[in-house]
Amino acid sequence: MKPLSAAPLSPSVKVKLLRAGFDWEEELRGLEPLELSREGGLSLEEALEVQQILTRGVEQPGGGGLTALELLQQEERSIVTFCSQLDALLGGGVPLGRTSEVCGTPGVGKTQLCLQLCVDVQIPECFGGLGGHAVFVDTEGSLVVQRVVDLAQAAVHHCSLQDHDPEQQEAMKTFTMETILEHLHLMRCHDYVELLAQVHLLPDFLVRHSKVRLLVIDSLAFPFRRHFEDLSVRTRLLNGLAQQLLQIASQHSVAVVWTNQMTTQLVPVLGETPGHRAARGLLVPALGETWGHWATQRLLLHWEGPHRLASVFKSPNNMESSVSYSITQQGFRDASSSLSESKQPSSSLSESKQPSSSLSESKQPSSSLSESKQPSSSLSESKRPRMQEGQ
Amino acid sequence: MVVLREGMCPGLDEDVVRDLLEDLVASDTEELAQKCSVSYKALLAIRRVLLAQHTAFPVSGLDLYEELVSSTAILSTSIPSLDKLLDSGLYTGEITELSGAPGTGKSQVCFATATHTAHRLKQSVIYIDTTGGLSATRLLQMLQVQTDETGEQTEALQRIRVFRVFDIFSLLDCLHGLRCGGLQQASLGGGSVKAVILDSVSAIISPTLGGKQNEGMSLMMQVAGTLKTIAKDFNVAVLVTNHMTRGPGGEPQAGLGLSWSHVPRTRLLLERSDGAGPLLGSKRTATLVKSSRRPCHIKAEFDFNRGSRPEEGLLGGVRVRDGSDP
Amino acid sequence: MTETGAQLFARLDARRCLTDIEAHLFPEDCGPRHGEVVELHGLEGTGKTELLYHLLCRCVLPVEAGGMGVEVVFVDSDYSLDMLRLVTILENRLAAGLSTGRPEAGSSGVCPEEAALRSCLSRLLVVHCGSSSQLLLTLHYLDTSLSSRPGLSLLLIDSISAFYWLDRCGGGESVARQEDKLTKDYRITVFATSHAIRRNYKNVASSSSSSSSSSSSPYSEYEQPYLCRPWQRLVTHRLLCSRGMAGANMASATCADKHSKKQSFNVRCTSSSSSSRGTKAHKSSSFYVTDGGVVFV
Repeated sequence: MKPLSAAPLSPSVKVKLLRAGFDWEEELRGLEPLELSREGGLSLEEALEVQQILTRGVEQPGGGGLTALELLQQEERSIVTFCSQLDALLGGGVPLGRTSEVCGTPGVGKTQLCLQLCVDVQIPECFGGLGGHAVFVDTEGSLVVQRVVDLAQAAVHHCSLQDHDPEQQEAMKTFTMETILEHLHLMRCHDYVELLAQVHLLPDFLVRHSKVRLLVIDSLAFPFRRHFEDLSVRTRLLNGLAQQLLQIASQHSVAVVWTNQMTTQLVPVLGETPGHRAARGLLVPALGETWGHWATQRLLLHWEGPHRLASVFKSPNNMESSVSYSITQQGFRDASSSLSESKQPSSSLSESKQPSSSLSESKQPSSSLSESKQPSSSLSESKRPRMQEGQ
Repeated sequence: MVVLREGMCPGLDEDVVRDLLEDLVASDTEELAQKCSVSYKALLAIRRVLLAQHTAFPVSGLDLYEELVSSTAILSTSIPSLDKLLDSGLYTGEITELSGAPGTGKSQVCFATATHTAHRLKQSVIYIDTTGGLSATRLLQMLQVQTDETGEQTEALQRIRVFRVFDIFSLLDCLHGLRCGGLQQASLGGGSVKAVILDSVSAIISPTLGGKQNEGMSLMMQVAGTLKTIAKDFNVAVLVTNHMTRGPGGEPQAGLGLSWSHVPRTRLLLERSDGAGPLLGSKRTATLVKSSRRPCHIKAEFDFNRGSRPEEGLLGGVRVRDGSDP
Repeated sequence: MTETGAQLFARLDARRCLTDIEAHLFPEDCGPRHGEVVELHGLEGTGKTELLYHLLCRCVLPVEAGGMGVEVVFVDSDYSLDMLRLVTILENRLAAGLSTGRPEAGSSGVCPEEAALRSCLSRLLVVHCGSSSQLLLTLHYLDTSLSSRPGLSLLLIDSISAFYWLDRCGGGESVARQEDKLTKDYRITVFATSHAIRRNYKNVASSSSSSSSSSSSPYSEYEQPYLCRPWQRLVTHRLLCSRGMAGANMASATCADKHSKKQSFNVRCTSSSSSSRGTKAHKSSSFYVTDGGVVFV
């Protein structure tokens, strides 16, 4: 016997049925829609809908679950980041079927990491990749296609150095910069309504495009950081969104990666003279502390002097620690001394990772950290067409 | 509310069937007898039969105690300092809650309990994962620390049954399924189910709260009620995780509000030992916030050694520091 | 269902009056009489359940162990009854009261303490309820058992607010009105707990100004009753529970060992029973919890 109050019916219908004295789902099963509408005081449409919902529930029982052993056998592979230290830290890369959050101050390389993943997910299986497609949901308008082209070319080049057996050579024919761009689905959302709608439609999209293995939302925080007078509405929307993303990750075995911004939180400093309340600012991920529960793992990208560091600070199966990485013309890479040195003075290349304090965005808290992740728009607009809509 | 129908008990025919059982019971029998032209005695009999069918059965405290003594078990979390806080572990028939900020090790404690129960105690575990945070790799890692035998590891993993649900209605479906036979079925694989772990309860409930509160609250209390029923009726320990919010004065508080706060019998608050912010480190402080057995607000410290190399980690990669009362 | 007036009188008279159930809790001469309802109200972790256990123990314990030796019905709608805890309290009190010299009650065979414990527990009837309609029907059903067992004199309901949200959603009224009939007919004392589950923000500002007693401010935020009107009319005593400030004035006096600072709880009783000449009487008391249950300060 299943209590009716637990059924996924709309509250008003539920109240009517409960008032009419129906306690259990089973009591409704045997009734014809007409009877139900008479007895329950519902309209005929409502009665039909109730019956549909209940029969759907019967046809798709929750199932007996899995044993952990089966789960272990299923446990998905990961998308490599091309930064071997970070891969090691994450236990092989960004795992499929799970959600990951990338936090960081502007310009530290969140988008770079996301783009790198979009390219890496497409590496053919014979090279140890996944041969999947990617969906990139862009809310900030920060995607620069030329940058994807750079990363794609670097990845193709990297693989072409290793094609030893015929199978790999065969695979290389379909692993080109063009196919990489072709298999990267872009979706541009301008505000949170569009984002929610897009995510709502994603399950259907993923059924149609079953090869998609990566969903990136860059950034998830941006549309939610304004236009909200009532924070409880925001919390509710965010929680609903997160639940949908979890569901997508698990049901379509897709790695879901979203980026989050940082915000300043005032933390009272202990040990000060009494009566004088001192506080220091602490950079914490935006969207509130509760939000932090949603992602299965959280990665924080930050600066440590001139070096970029990636820290895992929430993960079910990995040690919490930091590694350094760098962003080169080829993309997201290990920090090697030669690279990091060559990175500093170069100003001739029109690379997106270059420091250019003049471009610092308004949301950046301190210009010393600032490094625009976009090339100057005035320069680039002419030669770099932006892709606006992906569908 | 219970609808009266014909044939529910002898003597109950169309004339009487007008109302809900509650109204029948509450109304004056004599008046009703006159109204429906049924004899007073017949109505009384009907009333008595119906009541007997629908009421809960009173149990003597003595019987309850004897049953309890024979069936209660205490499951260790495999973390000695936590066990000490919990008065030697998780009690069956109760709901224990772990609350804490992200990354304070709630899931790790769940994993440790699950593997310990499955491996050491050879009992089955139901693990309801609502955040996608369950990592079988991590479970295996913990088991590898405890035993080298692949066979034993496989067996233990088979004893952990995982349900993945992502919305409240599927959770209610799942719990309902467990209540109506799912638990016995899951026990078939050897060892009865002794623990139900719900990680996390806040992830599934919080999206339904807010806005039109009644619906969400009602669903939340149903989850609570079903969990309690499962805990009592099948005599299993229920472990749930909850997020943490800050009270008006900035003091940490378990999430989901006042109504939920009455639900768990025991509550632990997990915090990072090394201050606020996303600092790295594996030390955690657990504070007993609610308990009927131990004085509240005692603390213990423990250490997650997440790398869990066998020679360093003790028991599932969780290395233990001495529990210390404040 | 017929009985003579003499039988009725005998039956009602046999029911023990619980006015003196706990002198610490109620204002003088204002203990709960026959047919009165006491509501225990408070936040989570404010000692409601402990207090309930205390009263329960007091009732079921034999007279020689400081109890009243009467029977109790415990309606458990929250699955909150912790038998192990109850037994611990009972054992402690029995040991203290009977002082038979035995250190442990756990030895095999039927030792006197074990037997005493068993007789105590047999005076307790527990009913589990799963929904508000079941609770309602059960209360009706208790009629029968109440009239057949004159020793029954206390009905504990933990908690009356368990199905509040479910009922709110189902659009139904609360069930509380039904106890009215029960108490009138059978002259039984009812203790019910209700959880503070709705926050009342209005009072916060006003309460902060009255800082004369440390216990007054925590109450008012949650003081507002939310259950239906019939229930409010029914309740004659309200016990508001709150957590005391950890060891301010009473800690030094009561806690012999300073090492274990006990958490203290405050109770404020507001009673408007018929006997108190229409005026409301107040009494505040505080207690702390030990292994052996509630100890009043």
